[in-house]
Amino acid sequence: MNTSTVQIIIFIIHFLFFVYACTAIASYIILAIISSKETIEYMKKNSFVNYKEILSSTISPSITIIAPAYNESLNIIENVRSLLSSHYVNYDVVIVNDGSKDDSLEKMIVAYDLVKVDFLINQQIPTKPIRAGVFKSTNPAFEKLTVVDKVNGGKADALNMGLNISKSDYVACIDVDCLLLENSLQKMIKPFLEVTDKTVIATGGVIRIANSCIIKDGKLLDVNFPKKLIEKAQILEYIRAFLLGRMAWSRLNGLLVISGAFGLFNKKVAIEVGGYDTNTVGEDMELIVRMRRYMEETKQKYKVAYIPDPLCWTEAPDNYKIFISQRNRWTRGTIETLRMHRKVAFNPKYKSLGLLSYPYWLFYERLAPVIEAIGIIYFIILAALNEVRWDYALAFIILAYLFAVLFSIVAIFSEELTYHQYKKKGTGFKLIMISMLEPFVLHPFILYAAIRGNMDYYFNKKKKWGEMTRKGMTKTETN
Amino acid sequence: MSNVKKIVLAEDNSTLSLLLKFRLEKEGYKLLIAIDGKEAVELIEQHDPELILTDIMMPFISGLEVISHVRNKLNKQTPIIVFSAAGQEEMVLKAFNLGANDFMGKPFSPNELVIRVKRLLR
Amino acid sequence: MKGYQYLLDYFENSPTIIQVLWVMIVLFIVIIIILIIYLKLLRSRLRKKEKIVVQYQNEYESYLISYLYSGNEEEEISAEQQVIVNKLKSCVPDKFKRHVVVSTLLRLRNEISGEMAESIQKLYFQTGLINYALSSLKSKKWYVVAKGIRELAQFHVKEVNAQIVIHVNNSNKEIRKEVQLYLVTLFHFEGLKFLDVLQTQLSEWDQIQLLEVLQRFDEQEIPNINKWLKSTNDSVVIFAIKLAKIYNQFEAKDTLLELLEHRQKKIRVEAIQVLSHLQVYEAKELLKNKFDKLSLEEQIAFFKLLENVFESSDESFLQEHIQNKNFEIQVSALKIFKLLNIEKFHSFKRLLLAPKDAEIIEFIENN
Repeated sequence: MNTSTVQIIIFIIHFLFFVYACTAIASYIILAIISSKETIEYMKKNSFVNYKEILSSTISPSITIIAPAYNESLNIIENVRSLLSSHYVNYDVVIVNDGSKDDSLEKMIVAYDLVKVDFLINQQIPTKPIRAGVFKSTNPAFEKLTVVDKVNGGKADALNMGLNISKSDYVACIDVDCLLLENSLQKMIKPFLEVTDKTVIATGGVIRIANSCIIKDGKLLDVNFPKKLIEKAQILEYIRAFLLGRMAWSRLNGLLVISGAFGLFNKKVAIEVGGYDTNTVGEDMELIVRMRRYMEETKQKYKVAYIPDPLCWTEAPDNYKIFISQRNRWTRGTIETLRMHRKVAFNPKYKSLGLLSYPYWLFYERLAPVIEAIGIIYFIILAALNEVRWDYALAFIILAYLFAVLFSIVAIFSEELTYHQYKKKGTGFKLIMISMLEPFVLHPFILYAAIRGNMDYYFNKKKKWGEMTRKGMTKTETN
Repeated sequence: MSNVKKIVLAEDNSTLSLLLKFRLEKEGYKLLIAIDGKEAVELIEQHDPELILTDIMMPFISGLEVISHVRNKLNKQTPIIVFSAAGQEEMVLKAFNLGANDFMGKPFSPNELVIRVKRLLR
Repeated sequence: MKGYQYLLDYFENSPTIIQVLWVMIVLFIVIIIILIIYLKLLRSRLRKKEKIVVQYQNEYESYLISYLYSGNEEEEISAEQQVIVNKLKSCVPDKFKRHVVVSTLLRLRNEISGEMAESIQKLYFQTGLINYALSSLKSKKWYVVAKGIRELAQFHVKEVNAQIVIHVNNSNKEIRKEVQLYLVTLFHFEGLKFLDVLQTQLSEWDQIQLLEVLQRFDEQEIPNINKWLKSTNDSVVIFAIKLAKIYNQFEAKDTLLELLEHRQKKIRVEAIQVLSHLQVYEAKELLKNKFDKLSLEEQIAFFKLLENVFESSDESFLQEHIQNKNFEIQVSALKIFKLLNIEKFHSFKRLLLAPKDAEIIEFIENN
């Protein structure tokens, strides 16, 4: 190879990096603009909806909350209590005890006066069998509660059991440790009922971080801004992702992910596509992609909706170790889902799913950390060879940093103008500070975890399989 | 003064609470206001009222649980009137099963409530 | 000073790209600083606003309560009431205060009835709040119009009916919804006349809200729903089916039977469900004869109907379906069989050998 070919190759590499960076930035700007439009529209529409009027209605459609629990003995009583306090009328709660090794079941039996009942399950999705049985309460105050005790099969398997057991039209799949606000179900059901010309297959909710918030008896009393950097940075990250990112994607009807921690599904469609996949760690994303694919393939008009209201609060990891393993799992979930549905990619048959959502996820979510890592390594090599044009590098790095900060600040603004959850004096300053620090205190760990996720996925099959056999729910599942 | 009858009112609409407080205090009762079921239970335990008025739909502890608490945990036969919104017939039935004495469907007339309160406290 | 000069020289001698980058950097920094300052102002304004709302609300709440208790029978308006009206009147021109006044009045208006509710409505007129709601009807912004209609409905202002009815087929969904709610809230079943002219689809959410409002009224005298069951607007048909179910409209039986042939599957299924609820035996024979031509949803709905209206003559038909591939149909068939002919039901235990079938039989036997 002569020097000129090398130069051409290097030039092409540089050019690709440059194009990637520019399109990434452009996509951020476009998403921010779309999301602000959508948010304004949403706020106007909802400024005068009286949710009280539908919550009391017995003619409103039935919803089942499905909450899988694995070794949650510590908080299970409180958590169930919180789930039972929704103000929607036509709903019930199914707790799937997924082969817990602790005393979760015994505790629930005592606290909620449970007795074993005869229950005929329509096994539309195959799952691991029932263990101790199906339980209902003898106390009329808890008549909405059903507890199923089954052999351990992982989160997806537990959710599938819930899908089989539910007799409702809609199912809300949530993590048992999530705290739902009392009006969350009527807000989440609204998109399903509003449409007249298509089917809404799922509605996603926002996850808010409950660290340091005061929660008493399953009720959110006070919202606080936590002290630890990692928690603060995640709050900012969530605000950015949910208020800017997902809001825009919902406008484009291109949502690929609904938080596993809180989503409402059209049960009929979820069962028709076969329920959750038990062979992936990213079952929440995978289900949505599969449902979308199914709707496209059967040529039905559909929509995945999204409600930006802060309805679901959960604890986020408060140390780097748990944080990294969480993100590692998310990365593998994304890779697995995208691989399983490769057929969709760039396929015009799948319209915006194949031409927009999938490619975006592939390039700017799935590949972003890989490209970033390659870029960093490349930069280090150049630096070692003393080939870096430092005047350019410095200006570009500063500009990129400022753009990241600016984007975070825009996200903070959309939070303040909509939900304004962090009302306390001084929190504004803290939010600004963390938007400046986040590129240093959180982003490197996200990058590291994503790279680890890639390595584990491709080179560490044992870990992948090993995890699957003993896969339970960790407290930190939030995506 | 001990013959002033105490009423605990659990209702999350503060304007309504205030209105009823004025109305019932004019009739010579002492009103204790709770904004949710939890406060109601605390007030009931503290003051042992002669009558309880409670909304069914309240944050966290519902009116049903308040009734259940009074009848089953405290073992009291204090008369209870529940308020319910339209479409909650099922809830009202449950409230009666748990031991409520009377119910008023919202929207209701405060004057009618006074009559029912008087009848239960006679 | 020297450093500054150095930076300037550096900038001037740099290539254009770098110059552009540095200009952008400075620009970004300026924007960030402006946004930070604005955020600070915004946050303190929001905090203040929240406090003020509570303060105003408490103030207006006590005005309202004393207004309600200071009326007397002799005068249209007592002296004390006039004082309060004047006080509120002075707040109303301020948009923010007006908003709080209205919401305070509504908080009570929605919960009580009788004389006091009427007094609140009187106050709404006396303070001139009504005029603001009326002028909002002429706004170009859809959400202002919608909000205005909602307010007029909540305060039961029947007089402006004509100005609101014109929006029945408004192109905006939210406005239409508020119009419908207005009509039904104030004129009850009479208000449903809008269904005759409705060109757009009623969403499920709209329907639930309308039914919810209707159920608040005690009158059971419901108008003839036949013309709605025959409507060319499918959503009106579905809504009428719901009315038939909730208000047990046996009179509409024949039209409902006709709907079993409707081109929309959803309507056919709902028709079966309501006929099941009304226990119409004719429906059974009709459907039984063409059972194999029905869609699965209709078949399932039909079996639910059968659970309500089965007769011993259905036995042979049922026997064909005790091994139906569909779980719900199989369970239904076996359930009915248990009630119809217990001996035969027991004989199935030997007949149906698959463990899944045995499980179902055992369950039905015990429950």
